Amino acid sequence: VTEAPEGRERIVVIDDDYAMRLSCRQILARSGFEVETFEDGTQGLVGVAALKPSLVVVDLKMPGLSGMDVVRRVRDIDPEIVLVVITGYATIGTAVEAMKSGAYDFLPKPFKPEELRLIVARGLERRHLHRKTRQLEVERELMRRRFISFMTHQLKSPLAAIHQYLDVLQRLGDSPDVAGKRAEWLERCLVRTGQLRELIDDWLLLAKSEGSTLVARRERVDLRPVLEGVVASYEGRAGGAGVSVSAELPAAEYPVLADRNCVMVLFDNLITNAIDYNRRGGQVRVSARAEPGEVVVEVADTGPGIPAEAVELLFEEFFRVPPAATPGDGVDGGNAGVGGNGGRRWRGTGLGLPICKRIVAELGGGIEVESEVGSGSTFRVHLPAYREESGSREEAETSWA
Amino acid sequence: METRPTVLVIDDDADFRSSVQALLEGEGYAVEVAGGGRDGLRKLREHRPDVIVLDIMMESIVEGYVVNQAIKFQPDFEAYADIPIVMVSSIEESPDERFSRASELELVRPNRYLTKPLDIPLFLEVLAKVTRRRSAAT
Repeated sequence: VTEAPEGRERIVVIDDDYAMRLSCRQILARSGFEVETFEDGTQGLVGVAALKPSLVVVDLKMPGLSGMDVVRRVRDIDPEIVLVVITGYATIGTAVEAMKSGAYDFLPKPFKPEELRLIVARGLERRHLHRKTRQLEVERELMRRRFISFMTHQLKSPLAAIHQYLDVLQRLGDSPDVAGKRAEWLERCLVRTGQLRELIDDWLLLAKSEGSTLVARRERVDLRPVLEGVVASYEGRAGGAGVSVSAELPAAEYPVLADRNCVMVLFDNLITNAIDYNRRGGQVRVSARAEPGEVVVEVADTGPGIPAEAVELLFEEFFRVPPAATPGDGVDGGNAGVGGNGGRRWRGTGLGLPICKRIVAELGGGIEVESEVGSGSTFRVHLPAYREESGSREEAETSWA
Repeated sequence: METRPTVLVIDDDADFRSSVQALLEGEGYAVEVAGGGRDGLRKLREHRPDVIVLDIMMESIVEGYVVNQAIKFQPDFEAYADIPIVMVSSIEESPDERFSRASELELVRPNRYLTKPLDIPLFLEVLAKVTRRRSAAT
């Protein structure tokens, strides 16, 4: 049941043996491939160049242009074409050589139809994987190029807004219209300055850790007071956004081996995200549990959720989940803005999650996200449990009670 | 009877809208504001402004260019195609760099391009010029 992963794929068979060409054609055509056959290397290469097949099956031992030459030249035509060489037992050495020149695999004669189908299916699968990877690399490169322009924008637009306020105040400060707005505008200047500072701090934190580490020490940190502290410090922000925050921490203590400052930054980021990317009347649930060797903390929100394609990019620098298409889309959404720029349409610095990922990785833990569009997201952090080195087992156990 | 020229400011930054609105009202313009492309196009039909100040709105996939293109080339907005557009952005990126093909560029090139923060005397001069030209033409 060899099915080409996308549509009908083309395969070229080059073999001087008529019976072999015929049987390859039959076997592969039955699997749904479009098959073209050629009886020697020279014609075969012309065919490959014209047909751009996904895969080429070539006999190594042919009169005229050898199979080895065909392998090399097909690689020149398009290195993404998968090459499978057919060889008699006597020429296994050559088959290995062909693989060194870029053939994907070889098939010793005589072979069963199933063997040909299997090797073709595997070869094509690898091709698709390879192409997908390359596509991702191209996207990443594009992102890198846009990065500078985007960073510039992120830094300059709050500055522009602040400058514009101050400039208008200075020029028209005496006019009653502007004078009446003075206090409000100054307040906005302070808010935007604060956001800009946050962005610069995040950016510097990441830039500094490039090549070095964020984690300065490894110590026993009880996550209970950390989580309770972060939750308490955002009650006001949550209330303003109409979001309720609760912590479910059944155990007395959640000791992990970590850096206190880093885990504070980590949960600070996750909890503010959960508040900001939420809906009015929504909830944020912070919970922790001890598992063998680790502590698992979940931060769950009831926000718009993250589309599957965005999940992969979530931990990339400056990636932010686009605001969901709401009825006010394109209009100044007017959501009771927490954080974010003046537009209130995008929130955060776009650096919070990359920082979280870095911290968790440095601590030897893990972070994952589960999300459903329309109902919310859950970020799950795994941190290594602190092991009492001097303390007794009983002590360790009672601390979990 | 002299009527005040109307400026439509389309920008996703609420702070920028506030300061520019106050500035322009102080200069005797009537000002309409919109925080996004869709709202902007709606206000365009409602108020038929004399000039549009349009931000690139980079955070929403260069929505500004889409708005510019819609006003100038879509049959739906034919009646508004002659309204001058002053495009503004905090980054000094000319559309020529973003759009490499000349045919694309023609679709997005604004009448005038200014960087943020706005140089207030220059901004007022540009607006005065385009609105005067329009009132002279009608």
